[in-house]
Amino acid sequence: MPATPLYIICSPRPQVGKTLLARLLAEFLLLKNGNVAAFDVNLKEPSLLDYLPKVTETADVIDTYGKMQLMDRVIVDDGLAKVIDLGFHAFDEFFKMTDEIGLLKEAARRHVAPMILFVADTDRVSARAHEMLRGQIPRMNLITVDNELIIRGELPPAMAGGRLFRLPALPGFLKTYIDRLNFSFTGYLRQEKDSSTELHQWIRRNYLAFRELELSLILQRS
Amino acid sequence: MAKPAVVVVGADKGGVGKTTVSRTLLDYFSANNVPTRAFDTESPRGTLKRFHPDITEIVDMTTTADQMKIFDTLNATSPSVTVIDVRAGLLSPALASLRDIGFLDAAKAGQITFAVFHILGPSIASLDEIAETAGFMTGAKYFLVKNFINDTQFFQWDQATYNSYFHRIKDATELTIPKLNEMAYEQVEVSSVPFLKFVANKGIHDEAANYSFVLRGYVRHWLANVWSEFDRIRLTDIVGSKPVTRNSEK
Repeated sequence: MPATPLYIICSPRPQVGKTLLARLLAEFLLLKNGNVAAFDVNLKEPSLLDYLPKVTETADVIDTYGKMQLMDRVIVDDGLAKVIDLGFHAFDEFFKMTDEIGLLKEAARRHVAPMILFVADTDRVSARAHEMLRGQIPRMNLITVDNELIIRGELPPAMAGGRLFRLPALPGFLKTYIDRLNFSFTGYLRQEKDSSTELHQWIRRNYLAFRELELSLILQRS
Repeated sequence: MAKPAVVVVGADKGGVGKTTVSRTLLDYFSANNVPTRAFDTESPRGTLKRFHPDITEIVDMTTTADQMKIFDTLNATSPSVTVIDVRAGLLSPALASLRDIGFLDAAKAGQITFAVFHILGPSIASLDEIAETAGFMTGAKYFLVKNFINDTQFFQWDQATYNSYFHRIKDATELTIPKLNEMAYEQVEVSSVPFLKFVANKGIHDEAANYSFVLRGYVRHWLANVWSEFDRIRLTDIVGSKPVTRNSEK
């Protein structure tokens, strides 16, 4: 039985595509497994809760109670994949906590597989944050997300060495289209008969990349 | 056979965390496979006994009968280490009693290992306590413990003044107990289990418990920091035991 995946999508920077990635991933898991539990720790940015209210609940890491409410739910091996959309404002506090409470060790004990998806940027804050994560998270569990719309070129060398997830850029008009609150990626795949459209291919490419991520998780465990 | 060791934890002021430090010591000795017994002088209630009922006995240190119970059994009992959690206000009188019964002389002669963990509070009165206690410390290992667990700021202390007191005692060693998350501390209190059992998610009778992973994590992290302080002062060596690889380190 594969370990229960826990995806943590994060960045210390706002507006780098965290919620977009969380939406895509949550919809992929929903399509593949029929269920997903998403947690929105993202109150100051576009919110996952607005897009996927049926599977998302809000969470915070401001105080110990909030941390318990979130972490005690996600560290359970119940076969239900979890996605945390971690807002930039909560980045430092969240990873300070995970370091203190030993998230990675406890996850291994409980048959839970955390995957940290760090959405990269080229600024110094991101560089420092990535360095901190490299010190805390094993290489296999840390995935650097290269959002082409943000990076616009090569990833900083320090970030390019580990596992990568490339999020291709979409033309501006399509970006506006998918940003509508009632837009569903899976819904689009089902409704749009022409599979050659740019958006169709973009969604399928990302879903395939998530599938590969999952497979690597299984291979890593076996 | 190792010579008996007596560890006294005390302060003349109340509420500075004596029992908390005693609990960390009992957990530390347990994790290091050092057979230990404890005496709780908070008669008749006994907070330490609530957390470590199997190895703790409540005594009234002011009575001769209970003094005999503690000190006349040092060589006879199998646990080599005796931890005494001295009630607030009793540290100086207790040390005076130990001097009177010849215990301090035995420690000076090397027949017994004697260590004192003096828990300091934030007020200047704690510095006066150091001066008061200093007179009894020949032959003892003396540890001054700054306990931050209850968010003590030591705001009344001027470092130069503190140093002048600190240096009056030869070979005194300073220890720092870091702060523990309030909610985690409270949850351990409510659960009435040793810190070790809380971390291991176990109840008082070793049954499976359901403590928060976050709170257990905070306690684990804090306890590791406390124990690293005990490792730093080579506490197992002091009490005559060999250091072992603890479960949490394997």
